Amino acid sequence: MFNKILIANRGEIAVRVIRACRNLGIASVAVYSEADRNSLHVMLADEAYHIGPAPSAQSYLNVDKLVEVCKSAGVDAIHPGYGFLSENAKFVERLQQENIAFIGPTVDNIVAMGDKLAARELMEKANVPTVPGSPGAVTSVEEAEKISQEIGFPVIIKASAGGGGKGIRVVLDPKELASNFRACQSEGKNYFSDDRVFIERFIQNPKHIEMQVFGDNHGNVVHLFERECSVQRRHQKVIEESPSISVPPEVREKMGAVAVAAAKSINYIGAGTIEFIFDNNTKEFFFMEMNTRLQVEHPITELVTGTDLVREQILVADGQPLSFKQEDIKQKGHAIELRICAEDPLTFVPSPGAIRRYREPSAPFIRVDGGAYEGYEIPIYYDPMISKVISWGDTREECIKRLNGALSEYMITGVKTNINLHRNILKHPHFLSGEYTTQFIENEISGKKQEDMFMFVDDRVFLISAAIEAYQDAKSNNEFKFNENSQWKAQGRAKQLRN
Amino acid sequence: MYFEAETNGQNYSLTIREDRESWRVGIKKQEQTDWDYHNVSKNDYQRLDQAISFIFENSSYLIDVVGEGTDYTVYTRGSYRKINIFNDEMILHESLKSGGQLKGGNNLTAGMPGKIVKVFVKEGQEVAEGEPLLIMEAMKMENEMRSSHDVVIDKIHVNDGDTVESGENLISFK
Repeated sequence: MFNKILIANRGEIAVRVIRACRNLGIASVAVYSEADRNSLHVMLADEAYHIGPAPSAQSYLNVDKLVEVCKSAGVDAIHPGYGFLSENAKFVERLQQENIAFIGPTVDNIVAMGDKLAARELMEKANVPTVPGSPGAVTSVEEAEKISQEIGFPVIIKASAGGGGKGIRVVLDPKELASNFRACQSEGKNYFSDDRVFIERFIQNPKHIEMQVFGDNHGNVVHLFERECSVQRRHQKVIEESPSISVPPEVREKMGAVAVAAAKSINYIGAGTIEFIFDNNTKEFFFMEMNTRLQVEHPITELVTGTDLVREQILVADGQPLSFKQEDIKQKGHAIELRICAEDPLTFVPSPGAIRRYREPSAPFIRVDGGAYEGYEIPIYYDPMISKVISWGDTREECIKRLNGALSEYMITGVKTNINLHRNILKHPHFLSGEYTTQFIENEISGKKQEDMFMFVDDRVFLISAAIEAYQDAKSNNEFKFNENSQWKAQGRAKQLRN
Repeated sequence: MYFEAETNGQNYSLTIREDRESWRVGIKKQEQTDWDYHNVSKNDYQRLDQAISFIFENSSYLIDVVGEGTDYTVYTRGSYRKINIFNDEMILHESLKSGGQLKGGNNLTAGMPGKIVKVFVKEGQEVAEGEPLLIMEAMKMENEMRSSHDVVIDKIHVNDGDTVESGENLISFK
């Protein structure tokens, strides 16, 4: 077994890995950039090494420096977390040369799934469904009609170089195919000097559903069921849940079998995730990509399956067989994760800065994976995620209730957070019914006004508190005496100034 | 003490009087004539562990107020509200400053370090309020910066792909 693991990451995921190391009795080594000296992972790890300036290219992505720390600290394995070097095949090759174990998949696994087009071809060979579409550019209306009939309406016609609303057309009615096809071709030619056009099935109510898989060095591959991650803003996930209430049992079973077959086809080792686009109208699912790493949202899978995925990653990297078989893995209850970010809940613009007050929620079946504390300064260089609030319940309703409770006692001040975005989503009828798609935030939440999103607080509370504090500030600044003389005088003066 | 306050585009007049056991706070929306008075017992508005516990009409709020000059931000229950507060001395001070130019300015500057992903406008171009000027990537997020009012582009100081520092001038307006 490993003696010492270096975590080539920061923030909440570094903390998560440190906890798994403690659980296994393995010493943990944190690395940190100049901006992260005060980060929680640095304080919690057994050892901590400074590896460079704030920009990640010079610190968390600095392979030479990481290897150097491994050598001097006597590290025998690296956990990459997610992001940074977690899916970098060259990094894994280098670790092999240096005789340091990588807690993650093989170089071949990463390469196979790294190129999206090549991965799609590989998956087609393994009989994994992909979005039906034309094999190459479509040149004539007759060909377009034939292909569209094969893949089924609605279809989307895309000019090869299309973008910005030009050269992309959705066709619902077969009668409108010819005219749209010609329009797309000419838009491609006129705007992008490229009249190549492709046709694909258009998925009207798309959901993002992914399957957690796990493989070991002994040829075992299992899946740990699905996660639905359709609540997204700017193509980044905000809320994830397991199971998905949109996936019927027989589709779930098929999805699991397909995911295992996909992972087996490339001899996958370690934790991985197969992402599907799910058509909520037809309940069909199609391969999008495979993430060859631990996911941010792994805790919801841990809660519904009763597993510790990070611990399992370490054991598998050590060469041990998986501690569970497929038949051991059962989905029990429901889990939801909310990503709490330092950002404006309406515009999603990051809000870095110092956290003044910080009080984490605690209650039965509430888990908070975080990297923040009172006084912590959220650096401008990295992701604005503060923590993940995760809950489990026997039912989805119970789980949502617990999250509402947790959010109402979560206090973070000094920076803007998206706590209220979550509170709004958790009571939205489309979220509650489960009919939400990847366009949910864009269609249902964006454009909301601040006062609608902040309806949980009486306006007068804001004003009274601000008035009392402003009064006390003025008093301590000695503006007080001048001002206090006469209310009438003060008001008269103010009125004059406004005229 | 008399204050003028502005929050979320709404102007208010506020009065506050401190008594031995309580605060008396009056609130009046600009367009209204009647004052709405609240007596807040000091027992209901207490500083505990630096946060403020405020029991208002039997609702319990845990509050934090950050004051910087005339800018007050009140945080509570996952919500925050920025409130500009002027007392009459400050109102006087503002009025003595040269006219206009309190908001906006002639430059678009970077609020944080980042990378310019795409510039949408050209020098000399007229841009209407709300139109996108450029996309800047900061903290792993792409942020579209839009024009806050109708402007004419004077100079563009950055190109696609440039790395910029906090406070750096990106676009100047005429």
